[in-house]
Amino acid sequence: MSVITTENLTKIYNSGTTAVTALDHVSFQVQPEEFVAVMGPSGCGKSTLLHLIGGLDHPSNGRVMINDESLADLDDDSLTKLRRRQIGFVFQFFNLIPVLSAVENAALPLMLDGMKQIEARDRAIEWLSRFDLADRLQNRPDQLSGGQQQRVAIARALVAEPALILADEPTGNLDTRASDEIAGLLRQVAKDWGRTVVMVTHDPRIAAYADRILFLKDGRIVDDTLLEAKNGSSYEAVTAKLKEIGD
Amino acid sequence: MNFQLTLALRYLNGRKLRALLTTLAIVFGVLVVFGMNTIIPAMMRSFQANVLAASGQVDASISLKTGDVFPVAELARVAAVPGVRASTGLLDRTVNLQPDYFDHDAAVPDSISALSLVGINPDEAHSVHSYNMVSGRFLDSADTNAAVISQSLADSIGLSLGSTLALPTAIGEQSLEIVGILPARAVPGNEEVFVTLSQAQSMFSMPEKINTIDVNFDSLDNARRSEIQSSIQTALGNEYQIGALASNSELLTNLQLGQTIFNVLGVMGLLMGGFIIFNTFRTVVAERRRDIGMLRALGASRKSIFYIILIEGLVQGIMGTALGMLAGYGFSVLVLKLMGPAMQKFLNVKIGMPEVSLAIILASIGLGVGITLLAGLIPAMSASRVTPLEALRPAVGKLNFRRLAGLGFWTGAAMIALAVATLVTRNAGLIGLGGMLFIIGLILVAPTLVSPIAALFGGLASLIFARQGTTHLAQGNLSRQPTRAAVTASATLIGLAILVTAASIITSASVGFERVLRKSLGSDYIFVPPSVALWGTNVGSSPDFARELRELNDVAVASTLRFAPAQVNDLPISLMGIDPDSYVQVSGLTFAEGDEATAYAALKTPRTMIISPVLATSTGAKVGDEVNVLTPNGVTRYRVVAIGGDYLNAKIATGYISHADITADFDRNEDVLIQLNLTPTADRASAESAIETVVGRYPQYRLISGQGYIDENMELFDVAFAAMYAVLIFLAVPSLIAMLNTLAIGVIERTREIGMLRAVGATRKQVRTMIVAEAIILAAIGTAFGLLAGLYLGYTTVETLHLAGYPMEYIFPASGVVVTIAAGLIFGVLAAIIPARQAARLDVVQALHYE
Ligand SMILES: Nc1ncnc2c1ncn2[C@@H]1O[C@H](COP(=O)(O)OP(=O)(O)OP(=O)(O)O)[C@@H](O)[C@H]1O
Ligand SMILES: [Mg+2]
Repeated sequence: MSVITTENLTKIYNSGTTAVTALDHVSFQVQPEEFVAVMGPSGCGKSTLLHLIGGLDHPSNGRVMINDESLADLDDDSLTKLRRRQIGFVFQFFNLIPVLSAVENAALPLMLDGMKQIEARDRAIEWLSRFDLADRLQNRPDQLSGGQQQRVAIARALVAEPALILADEPTGNLDTRASDEIAGLLRQVAKDWGRTVVMVTHDPRIAAYADRILFLKDGRIVDDTLLEAKNGSSYEAVTAKLKEIGD
Repeated sequence: MNFQLTLALRYLNGRKLRALLTTLAIVFGVLVVFGMNTIIPAMMRSFQANVLAASGQVDASISLKTGDVFPVAELARVAAVPGVRASTGLLDRTVNLQPDYFDHDAAVPDSISALSLVGINPDEAHSVHSYNMVSGRFLDSADTNAAVISQSLADSIGLSLGSTLALPTAIGEQSLEIVGILPARAVPGNEEVFVTLSQAQSMFSMPEKINTIDVNFDSLDNARRSEIQSSIQTALGNEYQIGALASNSELLTNLQLGQTIFNVLGVMGLLMGGFIIFNTFRTVVAERRRDIGMLRALGASRKSIFYIILIEGLVQGIMGTALGMLAGYGFSVLVLKLMGPAMQKFLNVKIGMPEVSLAIILASIGLGVGITLLAGLIPAMSASRVTPLEALRPAVGKLNFRRLAGLGFWTGAAMIALAVATLVTRNAGLIGLGGMLFIIGLILVAPTLVSPIAALFGGLASLIFARQGTTHLAQGNLSRQPTRAAVTASATLIGLAILVTAASIITSASVGFERVLRKSLGSDYIFVPPSVALWGTNVGSSPDFARELRELNDVAVASTLRFAPAQVNDLPISLMGIDPDSYVQVSGLTFAEGDEATAYAALKTPRTMIISPVLATSTGAKVGDEVNVLTPNGVTRYRVVAIGGDYLNAKIATGYISHADITADFDRNEDVLIQLNLTPTADRASAESAIETVVGRYPQYRLISGQGYIDENMELFDVAFAAMYAVLIFLAVPSLIAMLNTLAIGVIERTREIGMLRAVGATRKQVRTMIVAEAIILAAIGTAFGLLAGLYLGYTTVETLHLAGYPMEYIFPASGVVVTIAAGLIFGVLAAIIPARQAARLDVVQALHYE
């Protein structure tokens, strides 16, 4: 059983006179505990793909299945519940609610699911501690560094114990060190805690942390490569691949 | 629930300044509604007292049919009748005087041969009558041997403040000290000498007795009034008679017009308050679409979002409403306190405390809490309906917006077109509805027009701030966020529109009155009967009087009015006989249909009639129609040749026919009012003394100069309108502050953006200029639209009232427009100064962290 299955996934944006095909018959599967990186030039449809998988947007054609359940069959409420319980999101910007503290932000999905505040907090603190944020629990987002904010966001993505983590350029505005930290964390999420992770990135060094890389170009999958599962060592392989594709 | 509460409270707490400003908007909204509507009853009362007092009338005057005195205790029974707002007992007797009582000179005939001695209770009397002192003071209940008289009485018997007036009484001649002087009587009859009730009772040896109870009602509604009247009759018994203000009397119509204007202002207060709240809260929630989108992405259901906003609105709504009601009450007390001394001094009207009714409390709460919730929920619901992508891709929202804006624009444009179309129907109800449509239409149209207008004003602004180079940025900011800009500008729009509307109504009412007044009473001299407009009660004069006047040297023309009561199509009306040739020289009708040139000429044809607008409305008769007129000699048919009226008869169903007709069909040739013009070369002084000699033999007339009469009337109106201006201030001040508030919120929302600008190298000065330019452009847009809307609404309201039969004429409120433009721009700049300084001082790093 695969966690994600897409079949001929197509997304066409109609803005007035011009129609942009952001995704063009994309089909692939992702297995449990797999760590997949999605790469490709700007505008090739990476974010669109992630949004469709996460049920944030509807495809123009084709379908997405999460744990063999087709998203097209779900109404808005069931889709919302699915996101809450089975999917964790990490975005590049504006990840956190500005008026809530780190721990409250991390506890958000549990609270949304109706869990008692104390219990939700405890679970959030547990995750934040694993990410070295035990001393920043009460700080609001504007009092945290960019890397810390992203770690809170990942803690939040994991707190509801979802099977699938979707991250759209989680290291996009971080420096090398912080990026490595986040990428390492995501790998740990997949390998140590048994989650499936799909991560969009530009950075070959970050992509090298993954098990597998999907290369997208003009809305189509142009390459699907398995990497040796070793931290950072696949960097050369990834850059070589990028050259080959002509990015 | 738990979690929603936490999040709501966090938003309030984490955005203290914004929450404060939003709450402030609610406070101001509720303040306007609550304050204004508690002050209006008090203002209306002073207006009513003043207008009634101006004519020396009360709603009802109760006496025994025999005219005898009765115990003071009866007063309590009247006061207990529901609907009686105020009542007071009087002891009023005629004192006949010996010839030559005052001047002791048999050679000169005395002008005063009888006086009314009126005993009043000074404490109660103010609630029913109003005494406008010229000098001195009014009576006090502790006074003994003190009297208040009119200027005209003082002049004719040579008395002044402090002198003594001796009068014959039941207990011998009594000396009274003159402690106050009232204005000259506008209504001749016996001159009155006011003393305290106890003084009068002892002078007439009638302890604990009164002979009149004057009553004011709490309603201007005709059905309600007759109900109150019959309750009084039941309470007192059949031996009492009640003289009540006739339901078609000029005065009552005047009061009803006043009340209508006050009601319109009250409704405007409601709209204004509601809009202030709606606007501000909508801005705040709209800014949070992104957060809402993110919560949705994380799995928050629509219901959760709904509750977060609900709770937040509830907390702010309750707090703001409570504070607003307190502040509104305080503001009312303040305004009444400030107005009080002036009212007391010029009118001797005591204004009470603001009146808090259950209805207004409920309305304020409904408005404060309800509108806040509504203003929060509408954008929250639309935000939750948009896909969570909103959080990730702001562009999606914009695309949606374009489509919505296009829809809004065309809907708005259609509404405006429809509103203008209602003007053609000349139907009061439809025109009123059109007014509402117009405003809503403008608000819908505004977002689409913001960009082009911003470009226009931006061009102007960049000329002014040429060296700063940031105005294009300001203009760009506005065009990028047309909804936000439109929302902010529409705060100004609504505020100013309502001010201009109110100014239009008030100017039209007062200037309209004056214009009609001048036209009707523009002659050099007027011979006024005791009761203007209640023609039937007057003793007129034979045509000899007018002939004698015409024979005087300097007299160019003397035109007379004659009167007959009649019925047109079973409706009781006043018929005025005029002389078509001379009437137009001394006076004139104001025509709604037809004109001077043809109407008077047509009146020379037998059995033709000009009907007043009130008569036209009540009978449905049009120019060219024939109407049935009941004459003492049976029913005759008259042809309507024009529709028009004069000031004196403005509110009474009146027909104007020629002297020839009124003599032929009604056997009347008695003159009841005479207007006279001198020749251009006449010597006023000698002419006046010649006229006075003639008038001496016709004491039923009072001779006044036309200008004097107009001045007298206008003064009364001016004071009455002062109450409306006070209410207008009530509308203006909070709405201008609210506008300031909205602009300030606009700047706070952009803290981050401003930090970014500073980071990329904008100087403090540039940031400041940008904010100020933005505010001025916004204010200019708001002012322009507000003027447009206000003028339109003012025009339609006046037209509606005019069609409803009120004597109003639309007058362009020129000074109001100037004040509005000034207020709009000044407040635009003021609103910008504080946020601009704040923005310029922003710590760059902190601003960038602000989300
Ligand atoms: N709402 C939209 N309306 C119209 N076109 C859109 C919309 N959203 C995305 N697109 C277009 O779809 C294409 C794919 O966009 P997408 O955001 O998925 O690219 P991306 O691969 O994530 O790019 P980047 O690396 O720059 O984030 C782009 O050409 C983009 O312009
Ligand atoms: Mg992207």
